[in-house]
Amino acid sequence: MLQVRKNRLWKIFTIFLVSSGGVFLILFSLNSTLDLFYTPSEMLEADIKPEYRIKLGGMVKNGSIKRKGTATNFLVTDFVKEVPVTFNGVTPDLFKEDSGVVMLGYYLDGIFKAEEIFAKHDENYMPPELSFEEEKI
Amino acid sequence: MIGEIAHFLSLSAAVLLILILIFNVFFSFNKIHSNQLTLSLRLFNQACFLVFISFGMYIYLAISDDFSIVYIANHSNSQLPVFYKVTSIWSAHEGSMFLWIVFLTGWSILFLNSLNKNHPLKRLTLLMLSLIILGFMLFLLITSNPFERILPFGVIEGADINPILQDPALAIHPPMLYLGYVGFVIAFSYITAYLFNGDFELQWEQDIKNWSFVAWIFLTIGITLGSWWAYYELGWGGYWFWDPVENVALMPWLASTAFMHSLFASSKSNVLKAWTMFLGILIFSLSLFGAFIVRSGIIDSVHSFANDPERGLYLLGFSGFISLLAMGIFAYRIPSLNSSKLVVIGSKESFLSMNNILMITSIFSIFLGVTYPLIIESISGDKVSIGPPYYNTIFAPIILIASIFIMISVDAAWQRSMSLRNISLTAAIPSVFSLIITYVVWYATGIFSILAYIGIFSGLLILTSYFVRVINNLFNNRFINKGSAIAHIGLGLLFFVVSMNSILSYEKNLNISLDQTVAVDESVTAFSFDDIKVIKASNHDIISAEVSIRQDGKNVLLNPQKRKYITRGQITSESAIQATILKDTYLTIGDQLENGSWTFSLKINYFIKWIWISSALMVLGMLITIFKQKTS
Repeated sequence: MLQVRKNRLWKIFTIFLVSSGGVFLILFSLNSTLDLFYTPSEMLEADIKPEYRIKLGGMVKNGSIKRKGTATNFLVTDFVKEVPVTFNGVTPDLFKEDSGVVMLGYYLDGIFKAEEIFAKHDENYMPPELSFEEEKI
Repeated sequence: MIGEIAHFLSLSAAVLLILILIFNVFFSFNKIHSNQLTLSLRLFNQACFLVFISFGMYIYLAISDDFSIVYIANHSNSQLPVFYKVTSIWSAHEGSMFLWIVFLTGWSILFLNSLNKNHPLKRLTLLMLSLIILGFMLFLLITSNPFERILPFGVIEGADINPILQDPALAIHPPMLYLGYVGFVIAFSYITAYLFNGDFELQWEQDIKNWSFVAWIFLTIGITLGSWWAYYELGWGGYWFWDPVENVALMPWLASTAFMHSLFASSKSNVLKAWTMFLGILIFSLSLFGAFIVRSGIIDSVHSFANDPERGLYLLGFSGFISLLAMGIFAYRIPSLNSSKLVVIGSKESFLSMNNILMITSIFSIFLGVTYPLIIESISGDKVSIGPPYYNTIFAPIILIASIFIMISVDAAWQRSMSLRNISLTAAIPSVFSLIITYVVWYATGIFSILAYIGIFSGLLILTSYFVRVINNLFNNRFINKGSAIAHIGLGLLFFVVSMNSILSYEKNLNISLDQTVAVDESVTAFSFDDIKVIKASNHDIISAEVSIRQDGKNVLLNPQKRKYITRGQITSESAIQATILKDTYLTIGDQLENGSWTFSLKINYFIKWIWISSALMVLGMLITIFKQKTS
């Protein structure tokens, strides 16, 4: 009887160990691959280390798009604060002034270096946080 | 008038389904009259026909440009070709839900009428199917009515279909995907009926096997078409983005693949019965979960339909109810389901169950990736997103272990343990060859990425072990299961080409003026911007560039375009693709700068064609499996 219980205990213990190991691995890889989303004001308040990849979302400020060579520079705003952005490459079709944009990249020396730009397949798209902010204004 | 008739027919179908349920559940659940089943089936058939006729009328309304109907006015246009007028029906929420229901009724009516007249599970399956169809009918009619009119007068012209959806691949992608998603309702309802009924002497595998296999084929084709469309239409040069909506399609695919395998094991050696049933229930539950994610707008994705809490709540409640109902019945019956036989370690079914566990692990990881941002947001209020790096790190080890098991199981036998010596013999040649080829690839490219090489090695393990098997078949006349071999070669090929693509593909951004020529790299030695012109088309203006490049000693003409659609004012890019066996040259035109020059994005994508070929091979393997069963 005791032996049976002991065996059962070992079995449960092994299952517990293996599954917690698995969950740990998954959570570990989740944390190292997570991209936090910020609006320009939030990003300027938070202390973003240069090696953190983040998502920045806002509106492209009217009249701020400047293209030079293959680089595109513009200001992204949440109607409170704005952040200069630089991006190298062809911007998506829905990327235009006065329109919502979400970017993935790094914040270095006061400039957001975008690696990817997402513009939604909907011409009226605005990041949800911003449509909320805009109502307040 | 036709709109009202169609609306009325759909409502009547819902009423008939309610009648069937009341009639069977409240009046005579235990006391079964001899003609009760006949009557229920007749009512069910009529309800289905009403849905079909109603949908047929809706197609007519779309073709005849009835813009007094809100949905058609918002998604179609009189200038569209008839083909796109029809496909505009499933270009947004309401119409695509209608299509979903049509397929649901279609599968159900075919399955129920194919069952033997006095099949013991016929009535219970019919009730489960009626309940599910009714749930979706009420969802359609209450929260997303496609028949709603603009009163008192309609508009003169429709708002047009979203231009990126005006594409043949995308026109057939939703129907294929839905046929797959919804097809698993048969396994779901039938297994639930079987468990509820409680007579475990009945054989159930044969009745749903081929239905599930066919649904799997549709799901595979649907996912591949979506991927193919994204590749050439979106202009990003990618074929898979680990977007939440792609993930919710991948989960039922993985579950159904696991289901097929465990179905083979349970019909060959009478093991894993309960597990197979669990998977059969899981697939459709995941389809329902997918419908909730896509249609509630809870997750921000490029695919998601508009945000609507009412719809989300209904779908969450309904899918939760249906899934929990089935899972509850399953849990209740588990004690009496235990197979008397255990899986022999080292047998074919043991490797197969290991891969089943791996597929469940992948489903769980994807599920976590999709829901984690929601959990984090509700706990801490932080907005997070989970991208490809998460999925790549999770999938690389899973793929490696799965490939090892596939390699060994090629030579394993059903119900008999394989000796360690035989396992090493089977593994020796593929392992050595795969290691050598992987090393050669590393040496030749000089690029290092641990995850990509795991993928390459895994793919090669599968490919070489089947290669050995094919050689054995040709020269030593050893048996080979053709369907399985072709499907697994497709899978091995997929792992290999996707990983090769990830290390070899690259992108160059160029800024160039008209009539200028620049050198890009050793492969593309000259890139000349020859011409740019504006063309007027029926519903859009085209800016078309002519670019000639000299690539690997050959001249290639490319014609990337930008289109501006007049009705919606939307701009889309048409990338120019020059596809060869090995690589695609993929050119997109960007914007014009103040000095008159233009930006271009030149992408060299490797092995893209082979991705489509590998999924075609999987479908082919499945087809062979289905037909071989029929003939034997």
